Amino acid sequence: MTEKTLQIRKLPPCRAACPAHVNVQAYVALIQRGKFKEAVEVIRKDLPFPAICGRVCFSPCEDACARVNLDQAVAIRALKRLVADIEREQGRVIAQPVPKKYSEKVAIIGGGPAGLTAAYELAKLGYPVTVFERMDEPGGMMRYCIPDFRLEKFVVANEIAYIKDLGVEIKTGVEFGRDITLESLKNEGYKAIFIAIGTQVGMKLNVPGEDLEGVINAVDFLRAIALGKKIVIGEKVAVIGGGNTAIDAARTAKKHGAKEVMILYRRSREEMPALPHEVELAEKDGIKFYFLVTPKQIIGENGKVKAVECLRMRLGEPDESGRRRPIPIAFSEHQYEVDMVIPALGQLVETSVLPPGLLSKEKRGPPLQVDPLTLETNIPGVFAGGDVATGPASIIEAVAAGKRAAVSIHRYLRGEDLRKDREEAIEETTWVKDWRLLEKKERRYESPIEKPHLSFEEARAYLEKLKRQARFEAFRCLGCGPCAECLASMDLCEGDKAVVDEGKCVGCNVCVVVCPVGAIKKNEKGVAQVNEDVCKGCGLCAARCPEQAISMKKLSNEQILDMVLTALAR
Amino acid sequence: MSSNPPRIICFMCNWAFCEEEMCIPYNVDVIRVMCVGRMDPALVLETFLKGAEGVMLVGCKPPDCHFVDGNLHAERAVKMLKKLLVLAGLEPERLKLMLISPLEDRDFGQYAKEFSEEVWRLRDSPLKREDIIINLTAAKEATSAFRLRVLLGREEELTEFMNAYGEKIPEEEFNALLDDIVKAEFIRYKIHYLTRIKPRSVKELAQILGIKPSAVLRHITNMRRKGMIALDRVEGYTPLYKALEVR
Repeated sequence: MTEKTLQIRKLPPCRAACPAHVNVQAYVALIQRGKFKEAVEVIRKDLPFPAICGRVCFSPCEDACARVNLDQAVAIRALKRLVADIEREQGRVIAQPVPKKYSEKVAIIGGGPAGLTAAYELAKLGYPVTVFERMDEPGGMMRYCIPDFRLEKFVVANEIAYIKDLGVEIKTGVEFGRDITLESLKNEGYKAIFIAIGTQVGMKLNVPGEDLEGVINAVDFLRAIALGKKIVIGEKVAVIGGGNTAIDAARTAKKHGAKEVMILYRRSREEMPALPHEVELAEKDGIKFYFLVTPKQIIGENGKVKAVECLRMRLGEPDESGRRRPIPIAFSEHQYEVDMVIPALGQLVETSVLPPGLLSKEKRGPPLQVDPLTLETNIPGVFAGGDVATGPASIIEAVAAGKRAAVSIHRYLRGEDLRKDREEAIEETTWVKDWRLLEKKERRYESPIEKPHLSFEEARAYLEKLKRQARFEAFRCLGCGPCAECLASMDLCEGDKAVVDEGKCVGCNVCVVVCPVGAIKKNEKGVAQVNEDVCKGCGLCAARCPEQAISMKKLSNEQILDMVLTALAR
Repeated sequence: MSSNPPRIICFMCNWAFCEEEMCIPYNVDVIRVMCVGRMDPALVLETFLKGAEGVMLVGCKPPDCHFVDGNLHAERAVKMLKKLLVLAGLEPERLKLMLISPLEDRDFGQYAKEFSEEVWRLRDSPLKREDIIINLTAAKEATSAFRLRVLLGREEELTEFMNAYGEKIPEEEFNALLDDIVKAEFIRYKIHYLTRIKPRSVKELAQILGIKPSAVLRHITNMRRKGMIALDRVEGYTPLYKALEVR
C-alpha cells in the first residue's frame, strides 16, 4: 500500500472555514492599514466575486472567527463588501487580458458561480475558455434567483465583466443538450469540459392541488421577476419552506404588492436553514412565520388556489442532517386562506439535459456522480461540480468547486496526476487558546459597519465615513494565522520569529507568561522553545527576557538601535 | 530653552497608524516596531544615551492590541522607566507613552507636535552632562539585568494571578516593591559603573551617590555575592573595590 501524502495547510480559522479558502486575514490586515485596493486584489486571488460575496455570502468565516470568544466576530463580510464598493466607486477595474499560454480549449457549461470561477481560474492560467450559458445573461442563480434588493444586477454584471476582461468568452443563449452536446463540443476541439449547470428545477410539494393556478415554484417565481415578466401576485401569499430562497421569495412577493405574506415551515425557527439576519429582515418587512406546519393539500376553487390545508408537526429525534425530524400530528388539519402558494423546498438537477452516460445508476443520492476530490465524471475529460454535483448549496461553495475543477482540468490537460497532493488536511491555527487574559475584557462597541443590506446608493453616502470605521473594524482582527501572507510591503511583517539562545536561557518562565500567542513552551530540559508555526514575531518575549536569551530573527534589538542611530545622525 | 526643536525618536507600533496618512514633524523620527510592548526598556534608555531628547512610544489603545496585551506591557515598562529617569536626574516628561485608538480623528502629527513642544519647554537638554550620562548608563544596565526584567515580566502574573505560593500581591505592595528594587538596582549598577572607571572606596562611593556609607556597604556585599564586584586592594585601612565583568 502506498502511503498517502497529506498536505497539511495551517490556516487561521476564518480561512479554514471558508470553502474557497479566501485569505481573510490578509485582506483584513490590508484594510487595517488603509490599503483597500490591495485588499480587493488579495480577495480576487481566491474569489472572483468580492462584491457579490460581500453582499450575500453566508460568511462561515465570521462564524469561525476567534474573536467571538472575546466579544464578537470581526464583520468580515461587511469589510469585503466595503472594499469592493470602494473599488467600484472609483470606476470599474478593467483587468488585463491574460495571454493564452496554452492552446487546449476548455468548455464550461453553465455561467453560474461554479462555472465562472472555473473559467476565471483557467483563464488566469492561460487557457482559452468558453462559457456556455442558457439564459440571456450569465450569472446563474446569482443573477436570476437572488432578488435585486439583496444583490443588485449591476454588481453581478460588473464582476462578470472582470472575468470577461481576462479573456474568457461567454456565449449566452446556448442550451446544453439542445444546441450543444458533449460530442459536438469535442468535435469543435474542446479538450476538456466542465459541467456546472447547477440545480434549476424547483422541488415539488407532492400534495394534491399542486397544478392549480396560483402555485408557482420559488425558483420560477424569482426568475420571472428577475426577467421582468408579468406575473400575477396574489393578495395573500404562502411561501412553503425555510431556506434562503423561501425568504427571498417571500420578501420579493411582499415588495411586489402582496398584502400578506406568510412563511410556512415544518420545523421550528432554530432549524431554519435561512440566515438569521435574513429572517430578521423578513420579519421587519412584515412577513409572518408559521412554524411546525406542513401543507397537506392545496384547496382550489374554479381552478385557482383558495387555501392551503396544513398539518401541525412536532419535533422528534435528530435525523442525519442533525436537525430534529418533524413528525405530523394526526387530525391537526387547519387551513390558511391564500390565493398564491410558492413552494420553496429546494432545487433539483435538470437531469433531462444531461447525457444519460453521466447519470448515476443509483436511485438515491445525487443524480450525477463525481469524484469529490478531482470532480472527474466517468467520462475522461469531462468534469462536473457545483450545485449539480452537491445539490443546492451556496455561492462560496460553488466557487470552491470551480477552483477545484480548474486545478483538475489544468492537470488533466498537462497530463499530470490529478490526485497527487490534492488531499489536504487543514489545521487551524487558533493561537488564542489561552483565553485567560482575554476574559477580563468586554466588548464595548457595536461593529459600526455591519449594515448588511444598504443599497449601493445608500452605502455610497457612507463610504467616506465607513473607510475609517472599516479600518477600526479590521483592527479587531486578532490575526490568528502566524503570517497573513498579505504580501504587502510590510518589511516588519515578513515572518519575524523569536530565537532562543539555549545556553543563556535559565528557564525563568517570563517569556512563557509574556507570549500572547502561547508559542513559547519550556521543554523537558527547562529551556524555552519557540513554536515557529505559532510565533507571530511580536518580540514581547525578546523585550522581557531577563537573560536576554531571546532575540528576533529580523528585527533584533541591535537593528532597532541601528535605526535609532541613523535617525539621530540625520 | 534652546533654539532648535528637540530631536525626538518615536517608536511606533506597526499597527497603530497608517504611514501614508501621517504628517511627521521634521524633528521627529518614527521607527516602526511590531508592537509597542516590544520595546526593550534598555533600548529606550540607550536611545536617550545616543542623544535623543525625547522618546515617544506610540501604541494602540487597550483593549485593542494586535498582540492582546502588548500595550499593557509597554505601560508597565514605561512606569518603571519613568522611575529610573527620575533617579537618573532626567525629566520623566521626556518619555511618553501614547496609546491611541485608530478611530480617533486626530492625526499623529498633532500628537508629535504637542510632545515636541512639551520637551522643548523643558530646560536645556541635560544629556550632555557627564553625571547624567553615568546615571543613564547605570539605569540602562539595570534594565538589562535579570532582576528588574524578571519583575517586569512577572508583574501581571503576580498582581493579577498568583505567585508560586498561591498568593496574590496587591498592586500597591507590588509598586512599593518595584520602587525599592528599581532604586537598589540603579544604585548597584551605578556603583558598578563607577568602580569600572577606577577602584573606589565605600566612603568615596557614598559621597558620589549621596547616600550613607552603610547603605553602600550593604549593596557592595550583595554585589560581591553576585560576582559583580571584588576587592581590588587595601589602601591603608580602606578597601578599594573594582567592578568585575558581568556575564
